[in-house]
Amino acid sequence: MNAASQSVQTTPAPWGRVRRGRYVADRVLRIICTLFTALGAFVLGWILLMLLYEGITALSPSIFVATTPGPGTKGGGIANALVGSLILTFLGIAVATPIGVMAGTYLAEYGKGSKLAEVIRFINDILLAAPSILIGLFVYTLMVRPMGGYSGWAGGVALAIIAVPVIVRTTEDMLRLVPGSLREAGAALGAPMSTVIRAITWRAARAGMVTGVLLATARIAGETAPLLFTALNNNFWFKPNLMGGVANLPVMIYQFALSPYENWRQLAWAGALVITLSILALSVVARLFLKKDKAR
Amino acid sequence: MNPVAVSASSAIGQIPADIASPVRIAVKNLNFYYSDFRSLKDISLDFHDRQVTALIGPSGCGKSTLLRTFNRIYSLYPEQRADGQILLDGQNILSNSIDVNELRARVGMVFQKPTPFPMSIYDNISFGIRLYEKLGKADLDVRVEEALRKAALWDEVKDKLRQSGMGLSGGQQQRLCIARTIAQKPEVILLDEPTSALDPISTGKIEELIEQLRTEFTIVIVTHNMQQAARISQFTAFMYLGELIEFGPTNKMFMTPNQKQTQDYITGRFG
Repeated sequence: MNAASQSVQTTPAPWGRVRRGRYVADRVLRIICTLFTALGAFVLGWILLMLLYEGITALSPSIFVATTPGPGTKGGGIANALVGSLILTFLGIAVATPIGVMAGTYLAEYGKGSKLAEVIRFINDILLAAPSILIGLFVYTLMVRPMGGYSGWAGGVALAIIAVPVIVRTTEDMLRLVPGSLREAGAALGAPMSTVIRAITWRAARAGMVTGVLLATARIAGETAPLLFTALNNNFWFKPNLMGGVANLPVMIYQFALSPYENWRQLAWAGALVITLSILALSVVARLFLKKDKAR
Repeated sequence: MNPVAVSASSAIGQIPADIASPVRIAVKNLNFYYSDFRSLKDISLDFHDRQVTALIGPSGCGKSTLLRTFNRIYSLYPEQRADGQILLDGQNILSNSIDVNELRARVGMVFQKPTPFPMSIYDNISFGIRLYEKLGKADLDVRVEEALRKAALWDEVKDKLRQSGMGLSGGQQQRLCIARTIAQKPEVILLDEPTSALDPISTGKIEELIEQLRTEFTIVIVTHNMQQAARISQFTAFMYLGELIEFGPTNKMFMTPNQKQTQDYITGRFG
């Protein structure tokens, strides 16, 4: 053994054979990548700091109680827009979740390899990237005109159409991560496919699917364009039947930020901060949820 | 470890084949196809009641494919099909009139990698029982305990039945899967390389377990490990390139095989 290892010994290769150019190329690429990352982070940080600065000065307990003020009125708050946004987002996600989860389940479980599933997946990807203003116009034609006016219902449906493709995508992706061996093991006990999906695959993918719904919620919470043509916005509390427009934060920000009134612009900053912090909180919760499940 | 298990383990490999025991599964002229590829060629062989039959052969020889026909688990994949006959207690399970889910409750299967469901240990076991039997809480508790005891896992998990099955060690997870299968009281148990992902100590435990289960169930095991086949089986079938080369009592297969190919494989000259 010892003799053999000695006999194959060769003279070591000299050091310093690697061309200097390689080190230079490595350095240059690293510097370029770092610079552009820093640029991105800088812009994001700038927006957030500006928002924090302006938003916090505009924030006061009273704005969470008072409704949005009319033109030329002093003071006012964002209470009605905040509550309206909560209602619209809830409506949207309540409609989108069952549709998205079921469609995603079809794509991952039943439609494996079928032409129909391929077509649906393709359409879903297009919908995922569809300009949200188009969806607002679509719901305007579909609901606002026939119903004779703006409504919270139309707003909820428009937001749902934005959320569905997100939920379909994450549901399918998360179900695909569940190993096939788990499905086989369920089937091997004589469980019909519906039971395997309900009791095993959904459960295994649960955290990812909930995360998908949370991210979809974060996505639609800040959507403006789909609401412009559907829920519109106003300075009042919502009506119990949700007809005639519902005040909401994104459209409120859009209208107030461009207004000539100082107190309106202040409220727009406050609204923007509230909405950003809520979306940030949702994303953090979604991440924690996924992390906790991975640790289990 | 109880004394019964010890005596059983020392007896491993010494239990002779009972040729007189009735045939439980009779395979007749079985062919299997993955799309156009024919991976089993005209297989015919019998599996005896309450005996362990080992399927051995090099990778790709069709031994797992053969195992997967006995509970028709292959039918989850539309491109796979089988023709010929597999008679379970005289009834052809490849016939369309057979309900595959009912078949799978009668022919249990344990896989190469442990596959605990993402639920509690208790629910892992009761899942299969509840599919086919309506039991009260007390009866269900009894069945769960019975299954875990038979799988030699009870003492390790009795205080954490409500905890997730995913938290167990690999060897424990595999015994959990065996417990889950026997809890349904199947007639046949299929084991697809059940110890290839486990350490030697866990493997030893599973082998002892198989020895015990043989008294109650008809067992078919696919294994890459020749010593394992010799230790735990009464019958051995050697397969190569989709064909059955030789089948017989394990002692004979390992001591005086009829085919040169069998001898070459068993002595490690190829495969």
